[in-house]
Amino acid sequence: MINTLTIALMIAGLFFFLATTVGVLRFPDFYTRMHAAGKGDTLSSLLILVGLALYNLHLLSAGNILVTIKILFILMFIFLASPTATHAIIDAGYESGIKPWANENNREGQDDLAD
Amino acid sequence: MIWQIDIMILTLIVICGLFAISVKDLLGAAVVFGAYSFLMCLLWTEMGAVDVAFTEAAVGAGVSTVLFFAAVHRSSRQVKARVSGAMLYKGLGLLASGLMGGVLFYASTDFPDWADPASPASSHLSPHFITQTIAETSVPNIVTSVLADYRGFDTMFETAVVLTAGLAVLIILRLGGCRTAGPIREKNAAIQAAYKDSIIRFVTRMVVPFMQLFALYVVAHGHHSPGGGFQGGVILGASFILLAISYDLKMALNRINEKAALLLANTGVLIYGGIGFLCLLLGANFLDYSILHRILPATDEIAARSHAMLGVEIGVALTVMVIVMIIYNNIVSNGSYEKGL
Repeated sequence: MINTLTIALMIAGLFFFLATTVGVLRFPDFYTRMHAAGKGDTLSSLLILVGLALYNLHLLSAGNILVTIKILFILMFIFLASPTATHAIIDAGYESGIKPWANENNREGQDDLAD
Repeated sequence: MIWQIDIMILTLIVICGLFAISVKDLLGAAVVFGAYSFLMCLLWTEMGAVDVAFTEAAVGAGVSTVLFFAAVHRSSRQVKARVSGAMLYKGLGLLASGLMGGVLFYASTDFPDWADPASPASSHLSPHFITQTIAETSVPNIVTSVLADYRGFDTMFETAVVLTAGLAVLIILRLGGCRTAGPIREKNAAIQAAYKDSIIRFVTRMVVPFMQLFALYVVAHGHHSPGGGFQGGVILGASFILLAISYDLKMALNRINEKAALLLANTGVLIYGGIGFLCLLLGANFLDYSILHRILPATDEIAARSHAMLGVEIGVALTVMVIVMIIYNNIVSNGSYEKGL
C-alpha cells in the first residue's frame, strides 16, 4: 500500500520535473522560464519529498517517524523558500528592465517597461 | 559507493569547472561555482562523508557564493578587456598548472585504493577511532570526536585561522583607507533606494528564527548526527546575511554591531583555548578534557570529554558565525557599512 503510494508520488514528481525542464528549455523569455522553473520545481520537490517521507514509514519506529518529521520540515522550508526565491529573481529581472515576450500581433504591455 | 553515480557527478563537476573559468560574466561564474560546490557536496554524501558534505553545502554552496556576489557587486561584472601580452601570461599559467597537475596526477598513482583496508590510513589510527570512540568519549559521531577531541589542537588553530581571515578582511577593507562607495551604477542605487519587497521581507522574518534554531540544533547535536561548530556557525552567520540582503545592512548591524561582533569572535577562540588551559590548570595535558570531571558536576572522565567537546563546539560556532558576518559586511559595503546588496 505504502509502496504503491510512494511510487505514484515519485512518478508524479518526476513527471513535473520533466515538465519543468521542458518549460525552461522551450519557453520564449525570462519570465515564462522562471514561471516554469519556480512552479514545477516546487511542486515536484514536494511530491518527491512526500513520497520519501511515506516510504520511510514502512517500518514504524520512533526513529523512522522522527526522520519523516524532519523530511516534512524540509518540505515546509522548500514550500516557503522556493516560491520566494522565484519571486525575488523575477522581481530583479523586472527592475532591471527585461521585456516580456510578445508575439507579432500583440505588443500590449511592452511599452510599460521601455525606458 | 555507486560508481555510475560517481561518474555522473564527476562529469558534471568537470563541466561546471570548465564553464566557471570560461564564462565572461563574473556573476554567472559565481552561480556556476555555487553549482560546482553543490555537486561536490553530493559527491561527499555519496562517499559517506556526510559531515564534509554538510560543510561544503553550508560554506561552499551557501556563504561563499554570497561572498562572490558581494565582491562582484562591488567590483566589475565583466572580465577585463584584452590586455597586451595576455596570451603569454595565459600560456605560462596553463604550462605551470599543467605541470603541477601532471605531478599531482603522477603522485596519485602511489595512493592506496579507495577504502583499501590495508592502507596506512585505515590500518593504524582509524580502527582505534572507530572501535574506541564510544568507550572513551561516549560520542556516537566519530567525526566530531576526532575533530574536537583527538585532534582538538588542529581544530583550535583552524578556528584561529578563521578569526585571522576575518581580521585580514577587516584590516584591508575597513582600516585600509579605501572606504569609498565603489563603482555602483546610478540606476541600481535608485532601485535599491525604492526597493521594499514585502513578500521577501515577510518570508525572511518568518524563516530566520527557524534557521537560527536549526543552527543551534546543528551545534548541540553534532555529537550524535552530522554537524558541529563550523556548520552551525555558518548557518547562524547566513541567517544574519539573509537579514542584511532582504532588509539592508543597517538592519543586520543593529542586531550585532561591529564592536559586539569582534568581541564575540575573540570570545569564541578564547572559549576553545580557555577549556584547553583549564585542563592544564587541573594538572592534565592541554585539551585533555577527561580531567574536567573534577569541576563538572555529576560527570565521570568519559562524560567530561563529551561535555567539553560541546563547549569547544560552541566556541567554534561563535567565531565562525561572527567572522562570516564580518567578511560579508565588509566586502559588500567596501568597508563603509553604508549600503549592502
